[in-house]
Amino acid sequence: MTPSTTAGAAGLIREALEVYGDDPQAAAVLRGYARRLAEPLRIAVAGMVKAGKSTLLNAIIGEEIAPTDTGECTRIVTWYRHGHTPRITLHPITGEPRNLPLKRVDGRLVFVLDGVQAEDVDRLDVEWPAPALQAMTLIDTPGIASLSQDVSARSVRFLTPEDSASEADAVIYLMRHLHASDLRFLESFQDTGAGRSGTVNALAVLSRADEVGAGRIDSLLSAGTIAERYSRDPNLRKLALGVVPVAGLLAQSARTLRQPDFEALQLLATLDRAARERMMLSADRFRRSREPEGLTEEARRSLLARYGLFGIRLAVVLIRNGYPEPTPLAHELARRSGLDPLLEVLDRQFQARAEALKARTALVAVGNLLDSRPRDGSEQLAASLERLQANAHEFRELRLLAALRTTGVELAPELAAEAERIIGGHGTAPDLRLGLAADSSPDLLAAEARRCLARWRRAAESPLTPRSALEVCRVVIRSCEGVLADFAVRDRRAQSA
Amino acid sequence: MAEAGPARAPGPTTAGQLVRLVEEGLQLVGSGDRADLRRRLAQAMARLQDPSIRVIVVGEFKQGKSKLINALVNAPVCPVDDDIATSVPTIVRYGDPASAAVLVPAPEQPDGEAAGDGGDSSVERRPVDLADLPALVSEKGNPGNSRKLMAAEVCLPRRILTGGLNIIDSPGVGGMGSTHTLTTLTALPTADAMLLVSDASQEYTEPELRFLRQAMRITPSVAAVLSKTDLYPEWRRVEELDRTHLDQVAPEIPLFPLSADLRLEASRLQDSELNAESGFPALVAHLRNDVVGKAQRIQRRSVSQDLLSVTDNLRLSLQSEVEALENPAGTPQMLADLGRAKTEADELRKRSARWQLTLSDGINDLIADMEYDLRDRLRRIQREAETAIDQGDPGPVWPQFSQWLEECVAAAISDTFVWTSERSQWLAAQVADHFAADEVSLPVLHVADSGDALDPVDQMPGLDPGRVNPVQKVLIGMRGSYGGVLMFGLLTGIFGMALINPLSVGAGLLLGRKAYREDKETRLKRRQGEAKALVRRQLDDVTFQVGKQLKDRLRLVQRTIRDHFTEIADEYHRSLSDSVAAAQKAAASYAQEREGRIRDIRGELKKVDALHRAAKAVAAEVIAAGTRSGAGVG
Repeated sequence: MTPSTTAGAAGLIREALEVYGDDPQAAAVLRGYARRLAEPLRIAVAGMVKAGKSTLLNAIIGEEIAPTDTGECTRIVTWYRHGHTPRITLHPITGEPRNLPLKRVDGRLVFVLDGVQAEDVDRLDVEWPAPALQAMTLIDTPGIASLSQDVSARSVRFLTPEDSASEADAVIYLMRHLHASDLRFLESFQDTGAGRSGTVNALAVLSRADEVGAGRIDSLLSAGTIAERYSRDPNLRKLALGVVPVAGLLAQSARTLRQPDFEALQLLATLDRAARERMMLSADRFRRSREPEGLTEEARRSLLARYGLFGIRLAVVLIRNGYPEPTPLAHELARRSGLDPLLEVLDRQFQARAEALKARTALVAVGNLLDSRPRDGSEQLAASLERLQANAHEFRELRLLAALRTTGVELAPELAAEAERIIGGHGTAPDLRLGLAADSSPDLLAAEARRCLARWRRAAESPLTPRSALEVCRVVIRSCEGVLADFAVRDRRAQSA
Repeated sequence: MAEAGPARAPGPTTAGQLVRLVEEGLQLVGSGDRADLRRRLAQAMARLQDPSIRVIVVGEFKQGKSKLINALVNAPVCPVDDDIATSVPTIVRYGDPASAAVLVPAPEQPDGEAAGDGGDSSVERRPVDLADLPALVSEKGNPGNSRKLMAAEVCLPRRILTGGLNIIDSPGVGGMGSTHTLTTLTALPTADAMLLVSDASQEYTEPELRFLRQAMRITPSVAAVLSKTDLYPEWRRVEELDRTHLDQVAPEIPLFPLSADLRLEASRLQDSELNAESGFPALVAHLRNDVVGKAQRIQRRSVSQDLLSVTDNLRLSLQSEVEALENPAGTPQMLADLGRAKTEADELRKRSARWQLTLSDGINDLIADMEYDLRDRLRRIQREAETAIDQGDPGPVWPQFSQWLEECVAAAISDTFVWTSERSQWLAAQVADHFAADEVSLPVLHVADSGDALDPVDQMPGLDPGRVNPVQKVLIGMRGSYGGVLMFGLLTGIFGMALINPLSVGAGLLLGRKAYREDKETRLKRRQGEAKALVRRQLDDVTFQVGKQLKDRLRLVQRTIRDHFTEIADEYHRSLSDSVAAAQKAAASYAQEREGRIRDIRGELKKVDALHRAAKAVAAEVIAAGTRSGAGVG
């Protein structure tokens, strides 16, 4: 199914190019979208100022390259994409793109704008040989609600352009607590016109989760509870697929744990608990403390900056409780920071749907073009667009998912929840759709899929099912059939092999 | 603990001494027929006994406001949680033994009479167990304030609260334009000072600074607090950044970096070094010296003014009687002078004096302007809403749309509110000027005219020109006992609990993008019609309710100002008539009675003079202290 969606979108763009071929501007835009279909999924990292966007981005990439600071830092939209050699390109609003010198301080990139004002820069493009970037292009955006209004405005303009489809296919939205401005932003992101399936391309992250509980060792549990509450919040539910708590700083540093860090942490772990707690009452105290000997002030400062009090507390406890080696410790820290669950959700929700999401962006673009510059021959194109939107099952799934999470449907709550799961609300893998354990055998999965199919067929035929819910049943049945068809294909291959 | 600090400077008259002075004054006025003067002193006494200096703690949610208060009074009175905790404003004040109460709206009066002034009658105070309080006021036990509590009140026997300090914990402000912001703003005029709390994780955000600017227009006494310095190693950087931002708004705002956790730990361990490190001693000193100190200075000034004016009034009649007794020959002349003064005073009182005109005209203008302003703002919102509805289908986005509407309306009302509050203070000052210009000239000049016979009267420094800072008086008047807090309840009642939006998304954007083509034209038209009707009705309700509220507030201002000055004018008048009566009586009395009477009056006068001097000393002290602290700040 997936290849045909991409092919359909590509075909639609070809068709559009024929209609708009003599309009150089429109043609350039369309060719851009055609290229995008073959590129990795574009995920924007957005949020209010100081939500920890660049830090999280570093954590996902697994390298500390994006600059971060205590003050407001990111002022220009910056793209991080995969490339074999590192390269930074500056795209000014007017004029030719040019390369920037590659300068790094402590590993982080320093963008030497060389006299160009931030407001004259459209975006920075960083190519970096990081494996994580092969699967997705990450876009770092300036914070919303920034004190310098034009910086905020730049972000908003980038993510929710007035007149065209968004540059990003999906968005990770970072928030420290659910402010209404967060809600409003998500709202404006999800309803970009023609695709109309909203809701399915945004994921909320409760960032700086370690600070939720004031750096206590159980902070992340607390953050988990809050994230859980937010994800049930009807306002947020219709705007984002889920809420994941992440301690960004810890995640970033855990993925880049260095030997000196580890040694310093080990040294701290030798102190007894009372002394440790006394020392860690405040960051200042920690830095001033004389114990344990051999830990320089410089080392303390670096530990604080890289891990925060919470990270240090957690690492020390872990070292004392069965993680005496750097590598397992780094893994455990990354897991506890919430990064692993986040990557998993990203994979499940965005990567598995990458083709559909990209195709959707392309469709939105064509739809906008049709709206803004109708011309002879565009009726034909509009019909193709309509056909593609109505027929591609992925789009119907996305649309239903959006409906389930926003307006709701006339179904009993348990049934609605099940429908959401089967059409891929938790992820598109068969086990996730069927609500079974990840290691379930194909037979078990197939049996469950058949049971679901039968149940939904009965629901569709039942005279008690309201008319409005029939369309829901049809989509769910189609999804069940899709799962079964996949198994059938696999079986046939297995037999022929 | 370390709070004993620098607060104990020797010298200033203590509250106890002031109380004694007022008691003396009450004795002098005695049980005689000067009920007006007695009432004035009784009021001064009541103010002395319950000084109520309100400090409101504001900030976005999750900045550690509640914990700050807990650490300040060292008791877990405000609920603290990792998730949003506070849902109801909590007032922490002095009381021994410790106790707690919640304020709930009283059941509707059967006659449907709206509580016009003060409004206290609509509130019921229900004592609760101190241990149960957190459950009642927290978001957990009372989500979205579903129990409809207006406020909670905690009394604690803590030294820091003894000066009459009331600390108010407000539910977090979600940013600009929210109804929460509005309710916080409306509570501000009743506060003596505001603490703006922001944590050390980042510098000020745009909504925070916008709120600060707006709040500064209402309450100039602001201090900023940088909380949670224990958690963030880079708090000094943030402090610097914040300082820069504050300097742009108002350089005189102090900024206190604090750690509530360290303070709580310090009091658990009785560790004064740790307490010093928490940064609290500086805040405590600020609250003591600048907030409480300033409020006390104002109070001392107003009490000393009250005493001065009472003694002046008393002396006028005593003096004229004793003059008449000692110098019978001059009596007719004096009587004539006094009579003339009295007639003039009478006349001035009869044709409404200039200050009264200023006041009533001013208030009428203000009400008209306010209504126009409010209508104008709301009409603009209505137009925008209608345009937006016309462009799209309001049905699917109705909840978001109504929220947008609420936010715009809340923002508009905030503006009107701030503006009215400024104008009414300006009006009070204006009236005071006119009052002083009208009345001061009258008795002093005329009494002095009566020649050497009344020589001592010459020293009268002018009776109280009514400058006991009318602005303050207006604010105090509006305060009621729960006045400010009531506004919290009122406004949440009108709007529900909407949040905010610094990202100004126009309604057009909200609706315009969702053109649901498939819908039947007619159904769409009907929905649009209904939506517009709803918007109109809602805005109509708002105009009506808020207009009434604001009008009531302004009427209250008017009444307060009028009563204040009328009282002073009446006292004058009474004193003049008393003097005339006393002088007449003296002229008619027998010689042998005279000696005794003169002795009595001389004795009385001595006491009055002593009290007068004491009051003057207090007033001088206040002025001196004012310039001292003024120099200190500048």
